[in-house]
Amino acid sequence: MNKRKLVAAIAVVGAAALALTACSSGSSSTPSASKVTLTMWTGFTGGDRPGYAQIVKDFNASHPDIKVVQTVESWDTIQQKLPTAWLTGSGPDIAAPSSDPNVIANYVKTNSVLPIVTGSGASKVNSAQLAPAAVKELTYKGKLYAIPANFASLSLYYNKKMFAAAGIANPPKTVAEFEADAGKLTLNGGATQYGLSLADNQTIQMWPILQWLTGGDIVKSNGCSDLSSAASVAGLTTWANLVQNEHISPVGQTGAQADSLFAAGKAAMEMNGPWAAPTYKAANVDFGIATIPLAADGSKVTLGSIAPLAISAKTKYPKQAQEFLAYYTAKSTQEKFSLTTGFPPLRTDMTNDSALKSDPTVQIFTSQVGDAKLYLPQLTNATQVDANAYVPLIGKITRGTSVASATAAATSTINSLTGCK
Amino acid sequence: MTVTHRVPGRAARTGTPLTSGGAAARRPRRRWQPVLLFMVPSFLILGAFVIYPIIQSFIFSFQNVTIGGPTSWVGIDNYVTLFKDSQFWNALGITLEFTVASVAVLVVVGFILALLLQGESLANRIVRSIFFFPTIVSLVTIGLVWKFLLDPNIGFVGGLFDLLGIPPVSWLTSTSLALPTVIFVNIWKNLGFAMILLLAGLKGVPQERYEAARIDGARTLQLVRYITIPGVRPTLLFTTLILTIQTLQVFDLVFVMTDGGPIFSTDTLVNLIYRDAFTNYQTGYASAISFVLFVIIVVISALQLRFFRYNDVD
Amino acid sequence: MSTESLRTAPRRPLAPARRGFAALRSSSKWIFLGIGVLAALIPFVWMISGSFRSEADLFKNPASLFPTSVTLHGYIGVWQQLPFLRLLANSFIFAGVTTVATLLFDSMCAYVLSRVPFRGRSIAFWLVIATLMVPFQVTLIPVFIELFHLGWLNTYQGLIIPRATSAFGIFLFRQFFISIPPELDEAARIDGASHWRIYWQVILPLSRPAIATVAILNFMNLWNDLLWPLVVTTSPDMLTLPAGLTLFGGQHITDHAILLAGATISLLPIAIGFFLAQKYFVAGVATTGLK
Repeated sequence: MNKRKLVAAIAVVGAAALALTACSSGSSSTPSASKVTLTMWTGFTGGDRPGYAQIVKDFNASHPDIKVVQTVESWDTIQQKLPTAWLTGSGPDIAAPSSDPNVIANYVKTNSVLPIVTGSGASKVNSAQLAPAAVKELTYKGKLYAIPANFASLSLYYNKKMFAAAGIANPPKTVAEFEADAGKLTLNGGATQYGLSLADNQTIQMWPILQWLTGGDIVKSNGCSDLSSAASVAGLTTWANLVQNEHISPVGQTGAQADSLFAAGKAAMEMNGPWAAPTYKAANVDFGIATIPLAADGSKVTLGSIAPLAISAKTKYPKQAQEFLAYYTAKSTQEKFSLTTGFPPLRTDMTNDSALKSDPTVQIFTSQVGDAKLYLPQLTNATQVDANAYVPLIGKITRGTSVASATAAATSTINSLTGCK
Repeated sequence: MTVTHRVPGRAARTGTPLTSGGAAARRPRRRWQPVLLFMVPSFLILGAFVIYPIIQSFIFSFQNVTIGGPTSWVGIDNYVTLFKDSQFWNALGITLEFTVASVAVLVVVGFILALLLQGESLANRIVRSIFFFPTIVSLVTIGLVWKFLLDPNIGFVGGLFDLLGIPPVSWLTSTSLALPTVIFVNIWKNLGFAMILLLAGLKGVPQERYEAARIDGARTLQLVRYITIPGVRPTLLFTTLILTIQTLQVFDLVFVMTDGGPIFSTDTLVNLIYRDAFTNYQTGYASAISFVLFVIIVVISALQLRFFRYNDVD
Repeated sequence: MSTESLRTAPRRPLAPARRGFAALRSSSKWIFLGIGVLAALIPFVWMISGSFRSEADLFKNPASLFPTSVTLHGYIGVWQQLPFLRLLANSFIFAGVTTVATLLFDSMCAYVLSRVPFRGRSIAFWLVIATLMVPFQVTLIPVFIELFHLGWLNTYQGLIIPRATSAFGIFLFRQFFISIPPELDEAARIDGASHWRIYWQVILPLSRPAIATVAILNFMNLWNDLLWPLVVTTSPDMLTLPAGLTLFGGQHITDHAILLAGATISLLPIAIGFFLAQKYFVAGVATTGLK
C-alpha cells in the first residue's frame, strides 16, 4: 500500500466520518404538531407475524393522527436491550418485553410500565371481556399492567393416516385412551414412528398438560412446589415410563424439533398451538386437530400461553398508546387477527361470531380457552423455576433418574427460589 | 524490496517475540514524548467504550442491580453466593473442559496441517483456503447450520446414517454427547485459523537450520522435533494464547446449538452470565461471575506465558 | 522479510524403495487432507442447497445434499421481508469504514508500543490485552447508556467509533513491528526524520502483510457481528445484514429455506472478498513474521 493510497484512504475515512456525523438516520418519536408516532418492539418473528403487522396497518389507517411503527426483533435482543432502553428513555412507547408474561413483574417493580386504563368505551381496554386467566396473570396490586398480545391454547394435532393404519377410529377422548394410543402408535420402538412428539426445552411447555391430566401440578398458589405430591409423582412416573420403556417420544427435543418430527410424518400426535397448522399443511401432513383429552377426573384442561404487551412509563404519548391497546382488543380487530393467524380471539364474548365459527382451526383452539391454565402463573422468578427446576426435572426423569429423587430435588430448588416455608 | 531486511546478524538474534530490539532498549525511557500521542485515538476509544464499561460492570458486581430500579450495595454478597452456586461450578468445569479440549486439538492438528501444507504449490494453497473458509463465517451461522445438519429429522448426518443402516445418534440431546459435539463444531470452525497462524511461524524458521541439520543426517521427524518446534515456539505461544482467551469466552456457538442444555451439560460461563443478566434480571450477580471469569483468564494466560518461558516481557 | 525462506529446500533424488515409501506417505497425506476438505466443505454445500429446498423436500430427503426441485421462495422471502439493499449498504459502510479506521489507529498505537520506550509501556500493552478478556455481554448495558448520553444511539457514528480500534489488531501489529530491525529507524533518524515520517514512510510500507491480515480479520469480524448492531440501533433500517437476518430465527422455525438463504447471502460478500484477497492474505499471514 503506497503512501498516496494510504493518504487517500485516510481522507475517505475522515470525510465519511464527518459526513456521517452530520447525518444520523434514526427515527425517534419526534413530536410533530399533527401526527404522533408510537414505536413498538415485539418479538413475534414466527408464522403469526403477519397478524400483528395487519393490526398495526389497520390502526394506522383508521387513526390518521397516530402512526404506530412496529420493530420486530428476536426475543433475546429485546430482553437484552429493553430494560436499559426504557431506563434511559430511549426505548419504545409500547413493547412486548418477552414471550413470558411473568417478566412484567420485574418491570412493575421498577416502575417501567404504565397501568392500563380499563373500562368500556372506545379508548379503554375492556378487561372484563378478556380471558380471565390472562387478565389475572397481568394484574399486579389490582391494576392491569399489560394486555395479552395473543392467547394461545394447545390442542392435540394427530396424523389421520397413522391412526387409520393402527385401526384407531378417533383421537383419544380421555387420558387413559391418550396413554394407550401413544403406546399403540409407536412402531418399532420409535424407529419407524413415535406415538407422541414431546418437547421439554426451548418450547411452550407440554409436560404440564400431562401432569394436569393425571392430577398433578407444578407450583401451588402459595408458591410452594407441588411436584412431590402423590398425584404429581404418580402422573410423572406414568409418562416417564411411557417415554423410557415404550419409547412413545424421543427424549430431549426442543420445541422446533418436536414440530419437525410431526411435520416429517414421524410422529402420530403432538400438542401444539395454532401457529403450527400452516407448517404442517405445507409439509403435506394429513392431520386433524382435536381438543386435549379429558383429565382423569373428567375435567377439561389445556395449557394457555400469553405474551404481554405493555406501555412504557416514560412514553410521551400515554393517551395514544392506550388507544392502540384498546383498538388491539376490540372485537373487529380480534376477529380479523384470529382468522389470519388461527389464534383464538382474546375476548370471551365472541363465541357466537359466525366468521370465527366457520373456521375449524380457530374453533378448536377457541373452545379450549376457558379451560386453559397458564404455566407458572403469577410467579416472579418463573424463568428460574423453569430453567433450574422444571426443565432439568423432565430431562432427568426421561433419561432414567427416579421420579421420586428428581422431584425431591426440583421441589427443594423451587421452594428456595419462591421462598416457600 | 523486502530483501534488504536480511540484516547480518539477524539470524543470530534469538530475541523473544515479546521483547523489542536491543538498540531501542538502550535508549533512556522517558515519561513523555510527543510521539505518545500516537496512542491517543486507540486509548481514547478503548478507554471510553471498553475499559470504562468494564469498570462500571465491576462496580455492579458489588451491588444488587435492577436496570431501571433501585440499586443497593451488597458488598461481596454476590461473590459469596457465586462460590456456593452449583451452576457456577458446573459452568466452570464445562468451560475448562471445553477450552482444554479445543485448544489442544486446534494447536496439535493445526500444526500438523501447517506442516503438511507449507509448500507453495497450487494444491496446497487451495486446500489451505478451504480449511480457512469456516473461520470467516459467522459463529451464529455455523451453529445454526450444524444444528440443522445434526437435526434428527432434516439433518444430513442423520439421513446419511439412515442410508448406511447405522442407528441414529442423538448428538445434541444426549447429556453425554452434547458437549463433545459442540467442541467438535468449535474445532471445525477454528482449525483453519490455527493452521494459518502456525503456518506463519513455520515460514519464519530460517532454512539454513534445516539444511545444517540435514547435512548432519537428521531425518524428517527429528527435523520437526529439534528445529521446527523450537523455532515456532513464539508463534505457538501467540496461537495458544489467543485461542485460549477466545475459547474461555465461548458463547454464541453454545447458545445457538444447545443453550446450555441438555440439563446444563453444555452450560459455559458466558452462557450462565447471559442467563443471569438477561433472563433472570440479576445484573449484579452476572457481573460478579464475569469478573471471576476475567481473573481466571488472566491467571491462565500468565501460566501459559510462564510455560512458554517468557518472563521478560519487555 | 526475505522471500528466500518461502522456498522449500531442493530435494535430492530418492532411491526407488524410498520413493515408494514417500509416495505412500504422500498419498496417505492426501487421503487425510481429502477427508478434511470434505468435512470443511459439506456443511456449506448443504447450507447453500438447503436455501433452495422446500420444507417438504427437507423432511423427505434428509440424506440428499441437493434439492429435488429448486425453489426460490427462501430468497424471495428475504428480499420481501427486509430492506435488503439498505442493510447491505449499512454492512459495507460499517465494516468498511471501521476497518480502515482500525488499520490507522491500531498501527499507530502499535508503533509506539513496539518502538518507543517509555515508562509504563508494559502496563499500557497489558491493558490493551486485558480488554480481550471480558465478553461483550458484560459491558453492553454500560455501553448502551454511554451511547445514549452521547446521543449516538441509532447513528452511524455510534456504530463505528466505539469499534474503530481493535485490541487484536494492536497486538498483531506490535508483534510484526517488533521484528522489523531498529537499525532502519536509526538510519531514518540520522537523516532527520520525525516519528511520524518513520511510521508513515518506513514502517508501514514494510508492513503490507500485517496490514492485509488485520484488514481481513477485522472486516470479517465486523461484518459478522450481530450483537453490536442490534444493541446500537433502534430502527430496522440501520441494521447490518447479518443482524437483520436474525429476524428469521426463533424458537419454532417454520421455514428453513429463508434462514439458509439469509445465511448464504450474508456469507457471499466476505466469501468473494476472501477468494479475491486470499492470494495476499494467505501469503501475507505467512510473512507476518509472528516470531
